[in-house]
Amino acid sequence: MLRRHFIKFAGLAALATGLGSAAFAEMPAPLDKPADVKIALVRYLSTGDFFQSYLSGVEAQAAAIGMDLRVFDSRQDAALQADMVDQAIALGVDGIIIQHGLTESMKDAAQRAVDAGIKVVAFDVDVENEAIPQIEQSDYLLGKLALDQAIADNGTDFTAGYVYVPGIAPLDRRDVAWEEVKQANPGIKEAAVFGTLDNPIANAVANQARSILQANPTINVMFAPFDEFAKGVKIAVDEAGLSQDIKIYSADVSTADISAMREPDSAWVATVATNPAVVGEVSVRTLALLLTGENPGNSVVVPPTLITQDFLNEQDVSNMEELGAKMPQFQHADVAMADWMPLPKR
Amino acid sequence: MKNEKILNFAIRFGFLILLLGLVLYFSLSASGFASPRSAAFILQSVAITGILALGVTCTLVVDGFDLSIGSVATTSLMLSAYAMVILEMSAFSAVMLCLLMGAVVGLINGLLIVKFKVPDLLATLGMMFLLIGLQRIPTQGNSIATGMKLPDGSVAEGAFSQAFLWLGRHRFDLVVERLVPVPVVIFLVTALAIYVFLELTRHGRLMYAIGSNERAAALVGANVNRYKIAAYMISGVTASIGGILLAARLGRGDIASGNNLLLDSVAAALIGFAVLGAARPNAFGTAVGALFVGILLQGLTMMNAPYYTQDFVKGAVLVIALVFTFYLSAKRGAGGKT
Repeated sequence: MLRRHFIKFAGLAALATGLGSAAFAEMPAPLDKPADVKIALVRYLSTGDFFQSYLSGVEAQAAAIGMDLRVFDSRQDAALQADMVDQAIALGVDGIIIQHGLTESMKDAAQRAVDAGIKVVAFDVDVENEAIPQIEQSDYLLGKLALDQAIADNGTDFTAGYVYVPGIAPLDRRDVAWEEVKQANPGIKEAAVFGTLDNPIANAVANQARSILQANPTINVMFAPFDEFAKGVKIAVDEAGLSQDIKIYSADVSTADISAMREPDSAWVATVATNPAVVGEVSVRTLALLLTGENPGNSVVVPPTLITQDFLNEQDVSNMEELGAKMPQFQHADVAMADWMPLPKR
Repeated sequence: MKNEKILNFAIRFGFLILLLGLVLYFSLSASGFASPRSAAFILQSVAITGILALGVTCTLVVDGFDLSIGSVATTSLMLSAYAMVILEMSAFSAVMLCLLMGAVVGLINGLLIVKFKVPDLLATLGMMFLLIGLQRIPTQGNSIATGMKLPDGSVAEGAFSQAFLWLGRHRFDLVVERLVPVPVVIFLVTALAIYVFLELTRHGRLMYAIGSNERAAALVGANVNRYKIAAYMISGVTASIGGILLAARLGRGDIASGNNLLLDSVAAALIGFAVLGAARPNAFGTAVGALFVGILLQGLTMMNAPYYTQDFVKGAVLVIALVFTFYLSAKRGAGGKT
């Protein structure tokens, strides 16, 4: 029984790749025979919705092109991640995507891969190598767009609570936007800074935010540039019965975030996000461009999108798929593209 | 003679006086600290770790240890979300399922330790990893929320029922309207139940006896194995209660390792050793220990202390508490007077 299903699946898969290669036969070498092109995704971070979704994007784009994808997952072990790059080199892959990691541990490993003639791209880790394009979701822009919306809604005079944990690279980059906006608008008062990454984050942040709201009753805006933070703040705001008086601006989005934003009287009015799946797709496309000898540029930035509560309510969006359908710029980023590039089916 | 009295007094009441001093200090220096709402926040913030800590206290009483409580709690968080959002079960069945899961995990822990002679730390460490992995398998590592896409392409239609969310979010009126959250009530009831069980029933006393001398307890006819398994089952069930309350508060099934829950609750139980100079695991001390950490963290947050000071302070409190327990109590023991 199981075996029969398996054979059916295998047949389907073969059919799908067959069709794929027929439709895009004119891809430049070496992608004219995509099934012979092996690429590796070497991951540092993998647990959580963001990374899960990123992986699905990588898988979808690799399948659309028809490349053979191997996934190496070091689960936050920096040394192991460097070893995995060497494993990938030994495996004879044509391209490597390095997903997160530490500059110190990945720099040499990335150089070894380049020396071995392998094309490498890096997502959200700076490996200090000219030959390696950097793929980023612009964290600075994530913070900036959210704050622009906060100013559009509340004017330039408000009292803010800010959730921040220093030393976490994306949060540090989002912090740059906050500092800038504060400088430019002296009317914005920062009443309190708090934050924690204690697990489960939302619960720990909720406990902190409760105390902050009690100690600073004048706060009317909360800037929580990470969705787990925003979730925690929202719980605290709800528990304090202040959901009419406080507005929460955040970054990142997930299906659960959408439902939290759409609850009646939700204080969470806007978030800014890049679709992690799109970032995954862009990573693979950048690598594909490199493989065919094109130059995708040193830095490939995936632009973020502002998502407001009003938009979600007007369009009756309830999950990530519907968000993608209603907001095309969220579903697909027009970067690292070429005429011949096949895109994953929607 | 007089010194001895002071020492005895310090051991018995030192920690409670420290607690009182902290409350006074924060009341004066952090605006908004001294209010009924603030008190309710503190209780709420410690309710979940407190409930877990009460469970671990039971395993400490039989001279065991349960490292799996944090992951039992997060497994129960995921399981309740899975039951309601994907299997579309009722709140009642979801809660029952979680409690059952906690009891089964406790039973397996107990059997591993008692029947298969695996040392307690190792058995529960294994269980911890097993559960951290297991809770992610059904959803392939994704968090659970209404409207999520399932592996077969359909969309999850179920939702957290209002009755379930009530467990985490409803607040009873007391002095002020909508003041005391349900988790706090459950925490206090659990604390009382565990206290009565450990201190006032024959079973509890036997568990203490097993903890201090297993062989002697066995010789006087106590069924050591059964009591040990029972202790781990209590710990599993209380941890799953903690997870249920966490799910009800968050309103979604977040994947999390629960390691912070484990560390915080173990710290609370160990701090509890020092309360009233008990120098042994006890339910009252555990509850006070959890409260102590909660008050400190709440006060520090209100005074805008950065997040890393919180871990530092937790550690400092724990070290001081352990000094109270081991050094001062040993001194008292050497003095030959109690």
